[in-house]
Amino acid sequence: MTYILEAKELRKQYPNKLALRGLNLQIEPGEVFCLLGQNGAGKSTTINLFLGFVQPTAGAAYINGVEVASNPLKIKQYLAYIPENVMLYAHLTGVENLALFSSLAGFRYSEKELLEYLANAGLPAEAVRRRVGTYSKGMRQKVGIAIAVAKHAKVLLLDEPTSGLDPKASNEFSELLRRLSQQGTAVLMATHDLFRAKEVGTRVGIMREGELVDVRPTATLNANELEQLYLTYMQ
Amino acid sequence: MRTFWILVRYEWRHFRAAKGLVLLTGLVLLVGLYGIYYGTTEIERQRQHLATLPTLAHHNVEELKKKFPGPADAGDIGYYHTTFAVHHPTEWASLALGQRDVNPYYVKLRLLGLQGQLYASENVNPTKVLSGNFDLAFVLVYLFPLLIIALSFNLLSSEKEQGILVLLLAQPVRPGVVVAAKLTLRLLLVLGLALLLSAVAVAWARVPLDGRVGVWVALVVLYCLFWFGVVAIVTALQRNSAFNAVALVGAWLVLVVLLPGLLNVYVDATRPVPQGLELTIKQREEIHGGWDKPKSETMNRFFALYPQWRDTATIRERFVWRWYYAFQHLGDESVRPLVAAYTDGLRQRFALVERLAWVSPAVNAQVSLAALAGTDLPTHLAFQQSATRYHDALRAFYYPYLFRKVAFTHDDYAKEPTHTFTSTSELGTATSGLWKLLVSVGVVWATGLLLLQVRPLNPR
Amino acid sequence: MIRSIAKKELVSTLRDRRFVVLSVLMLALLLAATLVGRASYRTLQRERQVAQQTVNDQFHHQPNRHPHRVAHYGSFAFRPKAGLSFLDAGLDSFTGTAVFLEAHQQNSVNFSQAQQASSLIRFGELTVAFVLQLLVPLLIIFLCFNAFAEEREAGTLKLLLTQGVSLRRIAWGKITGYGQAVALVVVPALALAAWLLLSNESFANSPDAWARLGLFGLSYVVYFFLWIVGAVVVSARQQHARTALVLLLGCWMLGGIILPKATANLGANLFPAITKAELDAKVHEDAQKGINGHDPQDARSAALKANLLKKYKVDSEEKLPVSVGGLVMAESEAYTAKVYQQHFATLNHTYERQNALTVWAGLLNPYQAIRPLSMGLAGSDFAHYVHFQQAAEDYRYQLVQRLNALQTSMGYGDKERKLDAATWRAIPTFAYEAPVLGWALGYLVGPALALLLWAVGLSWLGLRAIDKTSIV
Repeated sequence: MTYILEAKELRKQYPNKLALRGLNLQIEPGEVFCLLGQNGAGKSTTINLFLGFVQPTAGAAYINGVEVASNPLKIKQYLAYIPENVMLYAHLTGVENLALFSSLAGFRYSEKELLEYLANAGLPAEAVRRRVGTYSKGMRQKVGIAIAVAKHAKVLLLDEPTSGLDPKASNEFSELLRRLSQQGTAVLMATHDLFRAKEVGTRVGIMREGELVDVRPTATLNANELEQLYLTYMQ
Repeated sequence: MRTFWILVRYEWRHFRAAKGLVLLTGLVLLVGLYGIYYGTTEIERQRQHLATLPTLAHHNVEELKKKFPGPADAGDIGYYHTTFAVHHPTEWASLALGQRDVNPYYVKLRLLGLQGQLYASENVNPTKVLSGNFDLAFVLVYLFPLLIIALSFNLLSSEKEQGILVLLLAQPVRPGVVVAAKLTLRLLLVLGLALLLSAVAVAWARVPLDGRVGVWVALVVLYCLFWFGVVAIVTALQRNSAFNAVALVGAWLVLVVLLPGLLNVYVDATRPVPQGLELTIKQREEIHGGWDKPKSETMNRFFALYPQWRDTATIRERFVWRWYYAFQHLGDESVRPLVAAYTDGLRQRFALVERLAWVSPAVNAQVSLAALAGTDLPTHLAFQQSATRYHDALRAFYYPYLFRKVAFTHDDYAKEPTHTFTSTSELGTATSGLWKLLVSVGVVWATGLLLLQVRPLNPR
Repeated sequence: MIRSIAKKELVSTLRDRRFVVLSVLMLALLLAATLVGRASYRTLQRERQVAQQTVNDQFHHQPNRHPHRVAHYGSFAFRPKAGLSFLDAGLDSFTGTAVFLEAHQQNSVNFSQAQQASSLIRFGELTVAFVLQLLVPLLIIFLCFNAFAEEREAGTLKLLLTQGVSLRRIAWGKITGYGQAVALVVVPALALAAWLLLSNESFANSPDAWARLGLFGLSYVVYFFLWIVGAVVVSARQQHARTALVLLLGCWMLGGIILPKATANLGANLFPAITKAELDAKVHEDAQKGINGHDPQDARSAALKANLLKKYKVDSEEKLPVSVGGLVMAESEAYTAKVYQQHFATLNHTYERQNALTVWAGLLNPYQAIRPLSMGLAGSDFAHYVHFQQAAEDYRYQLVQRLNALQTSMGYGDKERKLDAATWRAIPTFAYEAPVLGWALGYLVGPALALLLWAVGLSWLGLRAIDKTSIV
């Protein structure tokens, strides 16, 4: 069977650091895979390699069976991405930002549809016509979600999406991921938040010094066991 | 005070570690040396050109001696003999060329009407003079502010952006001392460079070591201090590096490029000098009208001016030189008011520039340095006046030959007066510029210090 | 896709208060420079027209005179301002205005505006060309220095790329957007210039002036384009917005201020020109080899007289139907003029060699490509100035020779007689015909090519470099 996300012996050597030492990973549609690990363990590098923003030193990443490094534009139609801190064009309004990014992805939405996406992402109606420069971090995050959802991507790549969000917003975000995964979207999420990983993840992977040292299905673990496991690896 | 010098020493280390800045400083030093080289060679070339003029005059005399082997009519000699009024530069001219490449530095004169000869231009390549001179004054007035900006636009902001400032201010150091130390090192560096270049220029151009050196140094130091004052103001605003860079370059643009341009437009519009063309046309009309007027009328007008020749013989011939030179001179006399209006107009232009120079310290510095070097408009006008007096002397020399009908012999060539004029420093302009500059420095520094007082240093 | 990004850049730019303030200032400056340039153009033009009219009338209203008197009375040529010189005064302030045209000698063109100014003029004049050549690029730098760097620092670049857009397309989108923003500043000024041109009847119907204005606008489009591309490329290649800004400002200063001066000065140092005094002396010396019009003892005059006696088969000068004096004058004038032309050509050749360095520098520095192009199109460059000098000298020569011919036809004893005042009214006065665009283009091929080379090279090499830029 073909996996929607796949890494084969993925290596990344930076000038002064070996960031990834031969990563192998397979993710199926509808899965929510959470990457755990310390700063510098290689989580962001993995995400960047799937995004095609950095070139692998060896090995390959595939999205929907398409090799990433040699088809940087093609794979972009399968994925959506939400960074840790969603930064948007401060001089444009929320709805203008969404319109811009959707049009770049090849979608032409009517005004009504755009507003609907923003409302579904949880952006208050009063905010949609304000400039993004006036938004809080959580509000920008919601526009980022709307951009991702509006793209109807098969894969969602997330880099610390819940850090700095208040618990309510964080919870809404988890709800959204669950909804998307039920629709068959595969999610790869790098996070420090063990609790959130346990709650929304179908599987968790623990990374250390550029290696995936353990992979567990979350169904078989409770939160305490996960923390114990994590701390064991970090020693 | 100890912490201050520790900080200065650390700043020096930072500066040495920043290769880009060291390179830039080295580059400015090289550019300054090129400016000195260019200025001295340019003036040297002018000196060489001036040195060839006596040879040209000598050739002319030799030719005339051949042409008139015996005693000749002085009228013929006056007509064919050319001599030069020469304008020698001061040694300072090499440092600030001013308008010396635009204005002719010699005038070729014959005994004919002066006004037809006085405004002859020198061969110049207009493309070159449009681009302007790369002399030391240009380096100091134009480029030094840029060096100051490059060295100090991120005086505090870079440390703030790197988060070092928080750590620094967590030590028992007053924020003011930190800023002072940073400014002091840069100030020492820039002033050292400016004074080094000035010293090299003074030695290279063999400038006499008198009080004017002090005026030059004071002008240069104050001008640099002014720009550091601008830096202090921008630093006191405590914005990020990009803002600082834009604000400082903006200030440079306004003070060094925009305001001088606007000032030019204003001076041209409010002090027009159309009299130049007018006086040339009128003088020609008068002189050539002389041929058609009755000789007695011409001579009576001339005798009214020079009664000492009134008793000379009445002219009955169809042509005689003394009549010819009389109407040549009457041509000059007829445009006297226009000439006065023209030179007054030019003087007023300069006075206006001088009066408005406080608007931009760059203009002020440029005008003051050129005044010190004696290379600006007033000096040229003084030269023209001196050339006029020389022409008077020439006429006074030839008139006895013409009116007393004395033959001009080969020995008489040596008796002809010669001319030399050496620019002098316009010290009045330079010192008044110095005061204006001092006021500008006071204003920017007061503003900067006040701002630093009012807004305490925020390390984040 | 490119259009979406372009629109976003334009909208963001227009909503950025700093940019709005800056561009309103720039627009005001451009409009002011256009109007001021126009006003000064009209003042100078009127001054010169009045002067030319005065001397023409004076010439036509001379009393009965001997033709050689008239040749010494002479005339003046005043250089009219070129139609578009209100946009780019070029060399106009540094070239003379008036030249006295008389027999036997070629006078210098006197009364340049620079000679009537203090050293303040050396800071540069505030013309439309100045704003377009130096200040608009500065605006472009402030507009574009963080085109990529800011997006990279903020992370929006990643978002853009995940939508499936290539870096190159983003770059083109930005270039288009910034181009539109710059156009908003520049187009009104050029429209005003066109309208001013239209309001002047002598230019409104001149296709030449319109073609010049069109090419003038087009050259600046290319110039701004290459600045925008260059700034965007630098912004993409630099990791931080700050370094991009400093680098771009450094380029601006080097190209706009230091290099032009340095190359012009170097050219003058490498190829020294002779002074007017030396030129006059050389012309005089060489002219001695020919006949001297005012020297009856001259051996060559005697030979000419002998030939004439033989030709007309008479035994004395009195019986000749022509004036020997007039013929000698004509011969001498022809010889001196030829000698002068040679020396004048040598001098101009020296200047051209001095300037060649600046033209070559256009390959290194686009400012030094647009500057000659712009003043060439405005009719205020060196070639146009030489053209005027040449036209004045041609007229002078024609006039003097015509007068010499008149003298010749007076026959023996012409010195005792005068010609009727009506004679002078039949002589055409100096009317300067400015060269057409086609003539000027020949001088502008070099700079135009340099500019195009820059635009093509930057868009080709620069955007290839953008492809390789780092995203994280």
